[in-house]
Amino acid sequence: MSSDPPHGRGRANSSSTPPVELRGIPGSAGFAIGPAIIVGARRAGLVLRRIPKHLADEEVARFEAAVATASAELREVAEKLGGDAPRAEVSILEAYVLMVGDPSLHEDVERRVRIDRQCAEWALDSAAREMSMQLQGSSDAYLAERSHDIEFVADCILKALSGKRPSLSIPDGDEPGVLIARDLSPAETVSLDRHRVLAIVTERGTRSSHTAILARALEIPAVVGAGEVLGRIAHGDRIVVDGLHGRVTINPSPVALEEAERRARRYREMAQGLRQLKDRPATTRCGTRIVLKANIELEGEAAIALEQGAEGVGLYRTEFLYLNRASQPGEEEQYQTYRRVVEALAPLPVTMRTFDLGGDKLAFALPIPPGHNPALGFRAVRLGLELPELMLTQLRAMVRASAHGNLQIMIPMVASLTELFRVRQLLEQAIAEIDARAQARAERVELGTMIEVPSAAILADHFATHSDFMSIGTNDLVQYTLAVDRTSRELARLASDLDPAVLQLLKGVIQAGKLKGRPVVVCGAMASDPLSAVVLVGMGLRELSLEASSLPEVKEALSRVTLEEAEDVARLGLAAQTADEVETLVAERFAPRLADLLEP
Amino acid sequence: MSLARGVFEVRNKLGLHARAASKLVGLASQFPCDVLVRRDEQTANAKSVMGVLLLCSPCGTQLTIEAAGDDADRAVQEIGELIQNRFGEDE
Repeated sequence: MSSDPPHGRGRANSSSTPPVELRGIPGSAGFAIGPAIIVGARRAGLVLRRIPKHLADEEVARFEAAVATASAELREVAEKLGGDAPRAEVSILEAYVLMVGDPSLHEDVERRVRIDRQCAEWALDSAAREMSMQLQGSSDAYLAERSHDIEFVADCILKALSGKRPSLSIPDGDEPGVLIARDLSPAETVSLDRHRVLAIVTERGTRSSHTAILARALEIPAVVGAGEVLGRIAHGDRIVVDGLHGRVTINPSPVALEEAERRARRYREMAQGLRQLKDRPATTRCGTRIVLKANIELEGEAAIALEQGAEGVGLYRTEFLYLNRASQPGEEEQYQTYRRVVEALAPLPVTMRTFDLGGDKLAFALPIPPGHNPALGFRAVRLGLELPELMLTQLRAMVRASAHGNLQIMIPMVASLTELFRVRQLLEQAIAEIDARAQARAERVELGTMIEVPSAAILADHFATHSDFMSIGTNDLVQYTLAVDRTSRELARLASDLDPAVLQLLKGVIQAGKLKGRPVVVCGAMASDPLSAVVLVGMGLRELSLEASSLPEVKEALSRVTLEEAEDVARLGLAAQTADEVETLVAERFAPRLADLLEP
Repeated sequence: MSLARGVFEVRNKLGLHARAASKLVGLASQFPCDVLVRRDEQTANAKSVMGVLLLCSPCGTQLTIEAAGDDADRAVQEIGELIQNRFGEDE
């Protein structure tokens, strides 16, 4: 973690190994840089040993001993977690204890040892594999996913069979490093020494899996569910872990390494300041109250949002539920997910956006071609209105989830009032269906329009009349207003959030909201940038929704600027002729004061 | 030795998943009698969480509980109640 050039086994400057960036799930926030410490690719090394008949008793006894060890290990963790862990986590651990000692599994393994003369490891692996395949074949998606439970349990026993102590001991001579593993058992995670383990990267797991939960409790940065990493990382490779965004960089370039070190330093400083900052409401220097909410995508990020002091979720992107699957997510699955998010935040509000995807991303909605220009094609609300069942299913799930907290619905990519009216009808239909089933819901479910197509911004007056609230999605609004593809690196400098044309549109929307008494929020990337956030507040916005990771910086930035100063700059910006002018103006006024909060 | 039998429908939304299955197994294990869970042609030992899990029983599945031995009646009755009470889940 020092800024000294990497030495020893680290290979940061090695030109022979190009940097590789991997994406995983943010398991535990924080940055770390260090050499990789690879922890066993267990199954890869599995070999079938034949067990002679006269040794079968011994082999079965070896299996039984391993079961006892694994079971004790799991029990210990369940106890250690005790009252702190969510109920569901403890009860899943209890289920694991039962599974480890399961009689069917035992019978199956014993049969394989005695009759097929397999060694215990092989017998267990085959038995578990068969069971998990049987589950995967289930037509029920939820049950099919339970096959992971069996694999996990088998791993626990396999590890005990190998005779390794459950705790991971890193030799004293080694420098602290980043642990790379397929998955860690609960006992291993608990036994980690946080001074020796800088971060954790696992192939398996989710934000709610034991590894992530324990890593957060131990304050060790972690990226979980990173996919096939063991084959790509060699022992000693220099690894950068960004647990906040779920990124892992292998052998970063010297420039990237320097950047990572700067980020790591800044994160540590912020994290320290954060603790005091977290519970302090966001205000300008003169005390004007600004509500800061978080944008989230994964269910588990609700917890991060709260940790960062968000006063709600201003944008919950629901797309991920639809990706990489053969069938549309059912109402029940969606309801359960939305409900957990709403409950995690309650009583704070959660604004859920209906799916914002192109037809090309949905394997199950194929009849609609993506078109040559997906940004202008069949996506988001357009797709939803073309496939109303898809949208109704999502709306029903959201309406049901509204019973469990404070939920609002927001529609993306609305270009005309006709679309808004049709969605409103679908929502009313969804509500009627829920009522007909006598299921619970909130008395009133607010429906807001996302203002991201220029036509909607231009007709903001009408949209304000017919929406419960408006949320400005600056990313798309900038892209559509300036006709710049925002995924293009070469064009990026042409797409400024602070372009006067964009500011004019924002002004119109903010005024329309004021006139009609409808809340206006900004939920795009613009709100995540401390300088732009100041401008937004100057333009009259009192609510911003941003990436949770930027929340502390933006909160701090706002606290250093008075409303009068922000309004002054907004006024000048609106009168400017070019984006350059606005950017120069904003930088001159605020950059010196906010320098420590800005990206380079 | 007594025999008992009952048919129950899985009513919790998530079906007989790991936690629900472990509740069923935990309860079955408290009885001295043998207990079986049957779904269509598939049969599992009710004291084996893997076996029960492998019945892959989503919401709406009909399960037959059979018990043989001491306390068989009470075993079937109590397991039936657990299933009907959606394993203590909200829905």
